[in-house]
Parts: sequence; C-alpha cells; structure tokens
Amino acid sequence: MNPNNAPLAPPASRVARWRRPSVGAIAKYAWVTWAYLFLLAPMVVVLGSSLDGTTAYSGVVFPPQELTLKWYRQIPASHYNALGLSLVLGLSVAIGACLLGIPAALGVVRGKLPGKSMFLAFFRAPMQIPAVVTGVAFLKLYYAFGDATGLYLNATFAGLYLGHLFVATPYVIGTVVSVLQRFNLRLEEAAMSMGASRWSTFRRVTLPTIMPGVHAGALYAFMVSFSDVPIAMFLTAPGFLTYPVELFFGIETDFNPSVLASASLVILFSLGLLLLVQRVIGLDTVVHSRS
Amino acid sequence: MSKAWKRFGAPLLATVAAMTPLLWSVDAAAQAKPFDGVTLRVGTFGGPWRDDLVKYVQPKMEALGMKVEFVIGSPQDNLAKIIAARGREAPFDVVEILDAQIDQMADAGMLAPIDYAGIPNANQIEPWQRGANAVGNWTTQEVICYDKGKFAELGIAVPTTYKDLANDKLSGRVMYADITGGGGLANFAGIVYASGGDTTNVKPGLDTLKTFKGVKFWKAGGDIVSAFKAGDIYAAVAHTGWCLRAAKFAAANVATSHPKINAGKTGVLKVGWLGVVKGSKNPAAAMAFINAYLDEEFQVAFAKNSGVWPVNKKAMQRLRTEDPVFAAMNMLDAADVERMLRVDYKGVNVNNWYDQWNRAVSR
Repeated sequence: MNPNNAPLAPPASRVARWRRPSVGAIAKYAWVTWAYLFLLAPMVVVLGSSLDGTTAYSGVVFPPQELTLKWYRQIPASHYNALGLSLVLGLSVAIGACLLGIPAALGVVRGKLPGKSMFLAFFRAPMQIPAVVTGVAFLKLYYAFGDATGLYLNATFAGLYLGHLFVATPYVIGTVVSVLQRFNLRLEEAAMSMGASRWSTFRRVTLPTIMPGVHAGALYAFMVSFSDVPIAMFLTAPGFLTYPVELFFGIETDFNPSVLASASLVILFSLGLLLLVQRVIGLDTVVHSRS
Repeated sequence: MSKAWKRFGAPLLATVAAMTPLLWSVDAAAQAKPFDGVTLRVGTFGGPWRDDLVKYVQPKMEALGMKVEFVIGSPQDNLAKIIAARGREAPFDVVEILDAQIDQMADAGMLAPIDYAGIPNANQIEPWQRGANAVGNWTTQEVICYDKGKFAELGIAVPTTYKDLANDKLSGRVMYADITGGGGLANFAGIVYASGGDTTNVKPGLDTLKTFKGVKFWKAGGDIVSAFKAGDIYAAVAHTGWCLRAAKFAAANVATSHPKINAGKTGVLKVGWLGVVKGSKNPAAAMAFINAYLDEEFQVAFAKNSGVWPVNKKAMQRLRTEDPVFAAMNMLDAADVERMLRVDYKGVNVNNWYDQWNRAVSR
C-alpha cells in the first residue's frame, strides 16, 4: 500500500541502468543490430519481392508495391521435385559424412600414426579444390571407372552422392577433430575403470561429448550439399536435378518472380524448422554436449 | 455338304486362321510409331527455355514414340561434358550451341553431319543457317535499348552508335552486357568492330567502353528489366527480347536502335545452333527433334515467350502482325539482317578477350 497515493519510484538500481547507458554498450547494441540487418536483409528482400504483384513479369521489386501470392501459385513442379531431391541428398550426405568423418577424426587425433598433420592436410584437400574442378574430375573418374568395370556412375544418384560426400566429409572431420583435441581422456578412463567396454565407453561417453562437433559438421555437410551448383551441374541428369541447379539455370536465361517465391518457401521452411527444433528439444541441446 | 466342306470350308478356315496373326501384325505395324523405344537426350538451357520445349516440342516427339530427356546447362558446361565423355557414348544426342563455340566443336570432331532430308522445316530458314554440322535455330539482334521519354527530356538524339552512350547526360545511366553473360561476347565484338578493332585487336572497343561514365554491367537479362522499371538506367546494350520485356512487363517507354558498326554493317546478330553430337545412337530421332524446333508454330510461340527471334521465315512473317511491338524492335528484311555483324569466332582466343576485359573494366 502507498498511503500518499504517490507514484512508486522504480528501484534505484534500474533507474541507474537505464539512465546511464555507456557509450560502449550503445556501440555494442548498434554493432549487433547492424550484424542482424546485414544477415537478414537479403532474406527480407527475397521474401518481400516474392509478394510484389505490380506487373505480370518483372525483375526484383522491393519493397512490394502491391501484395499478391500469385507467384507462389506459379512455382513450377520442377522446383518442388528438385527441392525434394536436394533435401534427401543433403540428409544422406550429412549422415554419410558423419559415418566417414567421425572414425577418421578419431584416427587422426587418437592414432599413433606418424605425420598426423599431413593426414589432416590431406583430409582438408577437398575443401581447397575449386568445386568446378571437382565436378569435372568426378565425371572423368566415373567414365574411367565405367570403362574398367562396366558400371558407369555418371548421371546417377549414387554418382552425385559420392561427389557431394567427397567435399562434405572434411567439414565433419574438421569440427570433430577440434572437439576431440580438447577432450578430457580421463572421462574415458573413468568409464573403463568402472567396467565399461570400449564400445560402451565410446557410445556413452565419447560420442555424447563430441556431439557438438558432429552436429556442426553434419550441418555444414548438409549445407554444402544443399547449396552446391558447380559439382551437381556435371553430375546431375534428366529426372534428378538438384534445387540450386534448377534455380541457377532457370534464372540464367530468363527471370520469373516465381523463383523468388520458391526461394521464400525454402527460407520459411528453414526458419520453421529451427523454431520447431528450438520449441521441441531446444537448440542448446542440439549444439551443446550432453555430457 | 461334307465334300463341299472338305473342298472349300476347311481350307478357307485354315487360311483365315493362318492369316489372322498376320493381319494383327499388319495392324500393329500400322500403329507402330517411327521412334518407339527411342530416348533422345537434349542438352539445352534451363528454366522457361526448357519449359517451352517441354510444352510444345515434347508432345510432338511423344506422338512419334520418342521419349525426350532434357539435360539443362549452359553451352559451355555442355561442351565440358562432351569433352569429358570423348570416345564413349555421347552424353546428349542434340545440343544447343552458341556461335562462339560452334567452330571449336566442329573442328574437334564433336558434331555429326546434319541430314537435311530429315528436317523438312529447314527449307524455311536462310541458307547460311543450314550448316554441315549444325542448324541455326534462333537469333538475337543485339541493339541499344533506350528510354524514349528520358532521351527526349534530356535532349539527347536517338543513339546510332555505341559512342553516343558516352554522353555526359547519360552518366551512370547506361548498362552494358558483361562479357561473361549471355550476350557478352557478341556485344563486346560489336563495340570492338564499331571502334575500329577486330577479333585480334579488341583494345579500341575497351577504350570506347571506358568513355561511358559510370557504366553498369548486366549478366542476367532480368537486370535490365528491373533497372528500366526502377528508372535506374536510360539505355542498355542487349538483345531486343530484353527490350521487349522492359516495354511489355515493366511498362518502360523503350525503343531499339541498331548501332552502326562500320560502312557495311549495322547491328549485331547472335545465332543459336542445334548440333547432333557425334556418337549419338539416335541420329534420325535427333533430326526429327530439330525439325520440330524449326516448326512455325513453335518458333512463333517460343519467340513470344523467350524474346529470341525465329529463324523460320513463316514465323517471322506471323510475328510482324501478331507481335507488332517485337517486330518494330527487330530488323525484319533479309537484306537488313544480312548487313548485321555476325562475329566469326574461328581462331579467336576468348580467354584473351576475358583477360583484357577484366583488366580494363576493373580499373
């Protein structure tokens, strides 16, 4: 109760916080705001332009002058087919890259092989080769392999998958190696001293501890596959075109705003997925160790 | 009765029984399509370009029993795929080629001879488009597309040469084709020849380009449409199809001018070609596809949708009345088209052009 009906003053500490924002704090907030704007601006432009209905055909118009959903109704079926393929391919590549990358990272960090740094450099090599060169090289390799065995992988899903796996695996190796190098070996020793087998120790101690690296690597692997054009344009074939290839060659000769609508759906899907993960299990759980 | 049956009935029945399978097979043969079981792979551009082929040409091919698969990519990418597959089964049967690659592919023996007996519609195209190894299937007229209203407002005369774009009043308002874009090589060659150079000496063209103040460059034609719509540019060097789109879809008040190249040449003509890849197992089906590509109906529809100009003369005549705006933007008479610059890329070191362009433009 306030006997004098006088307005209650806010706590002194809060007043002090609000009245005296330091220059450093303002600069910090300004910098963070600018960073968010920089990161989100392209997506906002794509989303906004996809809603412009001022002309039957145009380039990118932002901000939209007349709202419409017509470009969403005109998204070609080929975009949906390509998107489905890219999602399946990206997920398969992420899983495959983890299956290859985790043992490779363990071998490099824990193994007693001479020249570990050379191995690490070797594993990073696919990231340093221009993707166009990788695409052509795989195409030539598949022809040579086919000549020798009769099994031609060019223009097949398996061929495209292997090409993407080649460039995606180093990301998993890199992120898992960086986690393993900080790994406290006493955790494993403790588990084994209490009777856990090597496999049980790996499954219940090592793997949960390195999961942030695995998740980050898998995410990179997925993104590398999902966004690739230079490799896929040499290894795709009729009937299975990836989403970025479909978009890239679609806008090369002409521009239809349904491309913006299609891209907007992908952006919204990605944001929705992130929100769902956050809501159901929490992003922190995904990216941080459970150990 | 029994005698008559034995004498006439039984043999007749036997004959009918024997003939029935034969008649069925004759009927089946009559229903058989000439390309049953054939899968034709076509290397072509993506997006709406491929979609038009799917919409108009594919049904005709299916009616002939043929399955058509479209492999999308740029002509450069397709060339790389053919090179990678050399000595083996061709990755495509039919491939779209630009004039900058045609000699390279033909000289390297990548293209099979064209059998014009299988392409009756080739009678409707110009003789020079009936090559030994490739057939011209579309053209673009590379022009100066300019905003009539802005030019009048600024008191600038209609541009007749590339050098007219160096006007101070057009500072920052001119867009030129980037050399790596679709019309890049043709438009670069245009300014080179118009400035007194040739394919071995491109410096004069680069010098002229450097006089355009604040020039912008486009790679995708949609950039031009957007820029005209936003009022960012007053002139662009591009093919008439993009000028048409700016007029029709961005409500831009634009017209075209074919730049004077030299005493004998005005305007630049870029030609698209269709070739049959050597080693194709389906050359007859390939000719049927090319024939459908040159068909009058498809050429008209394709021109309206894609903005490229047809090669079929009947289609050209129809466009005069069916799309007068487009017709007004193009030169229609064969004599005028003949006077346009067609760049001979034979022996041209395109990489050297790129190098010189990059050095000059990045400065």
